[in-house]
Amino acid sequence: MLLDIFDPKAPPQPIGIDLGTTNSIVAHVRDGRAVPLTTCDGTPLLPSVVHYGIEGSVVVGRSAAAYATREPERTIASVKRFMGRAAGDAETTRLGAYKFVPGEGSVVRFDLGKLKPSAVEVSAEILKSLRQSAVDQLTHVGGAVITVPAYFDDAQRQATRDAGRLAGLEVLRLLNEPTAAALAYGLDKRQNGLFAVYDLGGGTFDVTILLLEDGVFQVKSTGGDSALGGDDMDREVAERMLTAMGAVEPHLRTPEVVSIALQAARQAKHALTEATEVSIELPKKGGGELNFLLLRSDFDAWVQPLLERSGRSCRRALRDAGITASALDGVILVGGSTRVPRVRAYVQELFGKPPLADIDPDLVVAYGAAIQADLLARSSDEVLLLDVLPLSLGIETMGGGVDKILPRNTTIPAGAKATFTTYADNQTGFDLHVVQGEREIASDCRSLARFKLGGIPPLPAGFARLEVSFNVDENNLLSVKAVELTTGISQNVEVKPSYGLSDEEVEQMLIDALDHGESDFELRRLRDAQVEATRILLATDKALATDADLLENDERSRIERALSTARSAASSASKAASIESAVSALDEATHDWAGRRMNRAIQAAIAGKNLGAIEQSVAHAAGVEAHLAKHGER
Amino acid sequence: MDPFEALGVEPVFGLDLGLLEQRHRDLSRALHPDRHAASGAAERRMALGRAIEVNEAFRALKDPVRRAQALLARGGMETGEGKEPPASPALLMTVMERREALAEIRSSQDAVALARLIAEVRNEETRVQAALAQDFAAPSPNTAEILKTIGELRYYRRFLEEAQTIADELF
Repeated sequence: MLLDIFDPKAPPQPIGIDLGTTNSIVAHVRDGRAVPLTTCDGTPLLPSVVHYGIEGSVVVGRSAAAYATREPERTIASVKRFMGRAAGDAETTRLGAYKFVPGEGSVVRFDLGKLKPSAVEVSAEILKSLRQSAVDQLTHVGGAVITVPAYFDDAQRQATRDAGRLAGLEVLRLLNEPTAAALAYGLDKRQNGLFAVYDLGGGTFDVTILLLEDGVFQVKSTGGDSALGGDDMDREVAERMLTAMGAVEPHLRTPEVVSIALQAARQAKHALTEATEVSIELPKKGGGELNFLLLRSDFDAWVQPLLERSGRSCRRALRDAGITASALDGVILVGGSTRVPRVRAYVQELFGKPPLADIDPDLVVAYGAAIQADLLARSSDEVLLLDVLPLSLGIETMGGGVDKILPRNTTIPAGAKATFTTYADNQTGFDLHVVQGEREIASDCRSLARFKLGGIPPLPAGFARLEVSFNVDENNLLSVKAVELTTGISQNVEVKPSYGLSDEEVEQMLIDALDHGESDFELRRLRDAQVEATRILLATDKALATDADLLENDERSRIERALSTARSAASSASKAASIESAVSALDEATHDWAGRRMNRAIQAAIAGKNLGAIEQSVAHAAGVEAHLAKHGER
Repeated sequence: MDPFEALGVEPVFGLDLGLLEQRHRDLSRALHPDRHAASGAAERRMALGRAIEVNEAFRALKDPVRRAQALLARGGMETGEGKEPPASPALLMTVMERREALAEIRSSQDAVALARLIAEVRNEETRVQAALAQDFAAPSPNTAEILKTIGELRYYRRFLEEAQTIADELF
């Protein structure tokens, strides 16, 4: 159910969601502290498992997981690994129990017979369940911050945002998981310094190096592998179990058998966190059972290659940050897989210091998301998160090479401009292929989108000059604009995402998901417009209280008029469109004034520090010296 | 936009990088989109644009090559690849030799040799950066000399980038 009773008097409560590969969590801030909400399973952790019944029912969480061995193909776990991936992606060929819709489609779809849900739709079911739990406990749920692995690319992020929309959430922000964890730690411990966050989840690995200083969380570098996690450990063990069970040839590896092995492997892994050996009963080919004895030392050896993959990312992140491990003040462990003793030992070897895990590694990311949601909703200025672009952005060149326009680890929001010219007389269009990744050949990178620029005025070859701006926003999402410089005409940019759903598809899915289709959709749009209008009215009132002196001539009266129109539309209009147009009229009326207010904020930021600047930089230098002395460098 | 103006700092080559960082943070505090999450769409767009400008200026001023270019651009001088005088034969010779060494490492996968080569070129880069600072510190800077130095830095930069890509795969 997407529509619930809307109590306008209850203040909306922002929430933070960790949409994990294995478990998902929703949290919020109560009395200044992040706390997890209870999910439909009665626990903070909701297994990220969705079961699609043959008769059309959908269940999520532990009751879905219960179907795993009975109906493995209809019980979808670890859907996060398929987000932003195309049909036929390497991920679909790994050991698993699912059937996929084959072909060249731009999204992975699970083949469940009549139903063929995409990864986005499956994720939306998990989010819907979390949202419902939040509504049950908080009455009026506000916007949501959803976390994503720092190493997620643009397509994976878009997919996550689409899933949020589909679940009826107002997605305030996509936040990187390691940054979220650092936020939870930093605010909890009031610590300053240079930290590494080692985040090994069920299906993704991230490492982030960040500097924490008086509320500023500045990410220096990030690295990782969006297909490396605890699932891969399970697969290492399951492979050996399947061999022991006699299921070596592919035809013997039915979804049921594979599912049993994967589940047993995970149980064994969990048991080995405490025990040094574990014995698991497994069914044998042709009937009977066998005892599979697994020693921790064997397990450790099997997962070693996976850990070394993570180590490579860590070393690169340190290099990119321009530091060595000895410069770190601490290492933070995040993700359920960091409970594995061998992982902890490996992290300690790698960074040369015992890692911190005092906040539950399963919950810390959701806490950080809740804190960020709360800060955003309160427009608080206590904290500033400066994150980075995880993968370089580039344009495919004529020869199939890559022209890098923004290197990895650039602070976001980021922008770059590139100028192109036409190569034929009267050429009116231009194609750009944007890729993401570090490789030198475009086909080795991940294709993001193809942009079709149209409407270039007909000019001789080489005369038209197209300036293309690439902007990456605070969510690490890319947008592209183009201007023809000789005429100053904005070009129409048509985006063909290489992976993922188009906006129209998502909208259609939204309509389809509602009980009464179009009419419910209209109602929802109305509600969204009301929320947005209320927010802007509040912001404008606040700005009038502080910056009225910056108003010019008749500006005030124009703004007052637009304000009252928007206010009455927000409270009484029955069509979303009338609210939206009143809001955009208000936007228009305040536009120039907003520019002046922003200039004042910039001036204040520059001037405010000029007096203290010298002191500050002296203190900074002293801090650096103390730091170097402490670590005995140079 | 001129990056010195965007960050409100004095247009000199010898910038105090600590101060620059502080300025970037102060401006980010005012402009980051998270600060404007509660505002209307137009204001959010405006803040995003300004924040991008500030980040871009910061990135440019941190980089000696781009900082030098920005200074020359203030004097109305167009810079960029191809605008610089051709490299000296001696420089081209060393670059070629190092390239060969890099190609060898690519096939031999010799991590120690790669680390040595990277350190060597880094040293060279540091030396040339110091020379560039000297050039700019002169009472009347010699722009031809500066352009030459920028060109040389660019060679090292590109070489190090390539070497880094190999290093990423090797370590």
